[in-house]
Amino acid sequence: MNRVARILLAGVSAASMTVPVVSQDLVQAESSWYTDADAKLQAMIDMQPNTGKAKNVILFVADGQGVGTNYAVRLFAGQLEGKLGEEHVLPYEEYPYTALIKTYNINAQTPDSAPTAGAMNSGIKQVFNTINLNENGRHDNCASEEGNKVTLFSEIASEMGKSVGVVSTARATHATPAAVYAKTANRNWEAAAPEGCTDIAVQAIDAMEAGTVDVLLAGGARNFYPAGTQTVHGGDSSRKDELNLVARAEEAGAQFVSDLAGLEAAAAGSPLLGLFTNSDMSYETERPETEPSVADMTVAAIKAMQGNEDGFYLMVEGGRVDHANHAGNANRAFMDGVAFAKAVAMADEMTNDEDTLIIVTADHEHAIAFNGYCGRGTPITGLCMGINADGVEHTGEPELADDGKPYSVVGYLNGAGSVLTEQADGSYFGTRPNVTQEEALDVDYLQQALIPMGSETHSGEDVASWAKGPWAHLLTGTQEQNYIFHVMNHAVSAE
Amino acid sequence: MHRRKFITLSAAIPASLALGASRVAAREAVRMRELYNPDGSFSDYALEMADKPVLLEGFMAPPLKAEWSFFVLTKIPMSVCPFCDNEADWPRDIVSIYARDIITVTPFNVPIEVEGTLKIGTYTDEKLGFVSRVRVVDAAHWRA
Repeated sequence: MNRVARILLAGVSAASMTVPVVSQDLVQAESSWYTDADAKLQAMIDMQPNTGKAKNVILFVADGQGVGTNYAVRLFAGQLEGKLGEEHVLPYEEYPYTALIKTYNINAQTPDSAPTAGAMNSGIKQVFNTINLNENGRHDNCASEEGNKVTLFSEIASEMGKSVGVVSTARATHATPAAVYAKTANRNWEAAAPEGCTDIAVQAIDAMEAGTVDVLLAGGARNFYPAGTQTVHGGDSSRKDELNLVARAEEAGAQFVSDLAGLEAAAAGSPLLGLFTNSDMSYETERPETEPSVADMTVAAIKAMQGNEDGFYLMVEGGRVDHANHAGNANRAFMDGVAFAKAVAMADEMTNDEDTLIIVTADHEHAIAFNGYCGRGTPITGLCMGINADGVEHTGEPELADDGKPYSVVGYLNGAGSVLTEQADGSYFGTRPNVTQEEALDVDYLQQALIPMGSETHSGEDVASWAKGPWAHLLTGTQEQNYIFHVMNHAVSAE
Repeated sequence: MHRRKFITLSAAIPASLALGASRVAAREAVRMRELYNPDGSFSDYALEMADKPVLLEGFMAPPLKAEWSFFVLTKIPMSVCPFCDNEADWPRDIVSIYARDIITVTPFNVPIEVEGTLKIGTYTDEKLGFVSRVRVVDAAHWRA
């Protein structure tokens, strides 16, 4: 800035400085790109941080939906609405405060979902495959739990009189929901644990009895029924003991529901236990009408807890974006991402920005990447289409690689979609299949991958967080994942 | 319904696997997902084709042991063996394949076609302890 301008501005009020006085002089000032961005600028200038006390906190976690996967979900959602896709904005992407989140675990560059969720619920990084133990916890070592269990945000919130809710499309005992209420040396101890330790399903019902979990809506019924019996859904129990945890929850006063109709008919208030499938719930792509969506469960959880004058803490997980990414199946991953976004929008509608802190994030990213120079509106699960030099929308002609074959926009660096397959002699060799657009857009298509692996892996790449409500402005910059707990804790404690 | 045109068995198919396949020559391979409705019930196609010869597309889940005549057909590649881990989240939409010969193992992520007689209805294999809702018996398979 030159000296004359500085002198002039020195006498101008802060309010008048917010007017972009020079925009009208630019030849591009009439462009909608320009005016839209200018309007956004004004909104950002006008934004005031909310330093009130958070009555409610809602933490949304899309499992395995880092920045890359989220980008794809944005385009997929937009294209489902008939847009080109790139211009689409997911509901939470409109939130005023965004941060990048570093997801590594104490001993893992590439994290797993247990210690990442634990970090968000306890304020400290944790050890790979453990949940809510401090740095002295050792995976699969029951004895290492003793003296190393940490205090959870759910316990703090309960102490304040708040209700606590857990919603997930995975099993109720799976890593992310478990991190709200459980402490364990092994995330896989869902239905049984070594002597001296308590399995996660028992911990869930212990928490409901103790009042540190008031609402639990998810899949995974098989972990809550006595050994040798069938669940309400007809599948075999996974338990090794005689405990009937559903009965225990009901004895503690919980309503138990097992389908959408039951969930919708449940009386307001809590405790409320819903176990809608034997294992993980369905992918959104093939969810039966009788099974609630993640949005249905989110709405029900809020309704159940809204009557508490002291507020609530709700963690909602879109648990199967991760599973479909592991399968190398982008279509199902992105459709579950869309369902997750709807749940966020519903929660936002039902709550007040003045007293509700909403944080939308992920626990980790996957080994997903995006190929080629694709034209606008290229279907995000399909083949990369050429850029139209004389228009906006793509040419409809697939781009070709040096092998003369088309390729999908989405690729995975490893996984079941590997182009290298096992040969009769045990070696791995392959060539890229010649994929048509119809095949690539099919719901069951696995995008091509490089390194052959049975299950595609997570990656250590950052995830994003989007936040609104009391103290959401603290969630900016590049942050450690465990910092999220500190923002939530400050928001509910601020005077 | 997606059907891949199945004109005839090519010379690339080993003769030992092609035995009897002429029954389905010039028919269309059907994706195994076509056997189920979204709610998990059998599709009209499955009901219509019960006890009749079918040609299905899918993937071979890794068999527990070699030199066996049984494997599980999945709609998308799955690397988990259903017998290796009792807790495996095995999807409902699988097809048990009882081959007429010892199977040639195909990598889990290589598409295959399976020809044989469709059987529907819950069945427990007493020897394997494996419960299936859909089977193809007297089956032959080859890379798609």
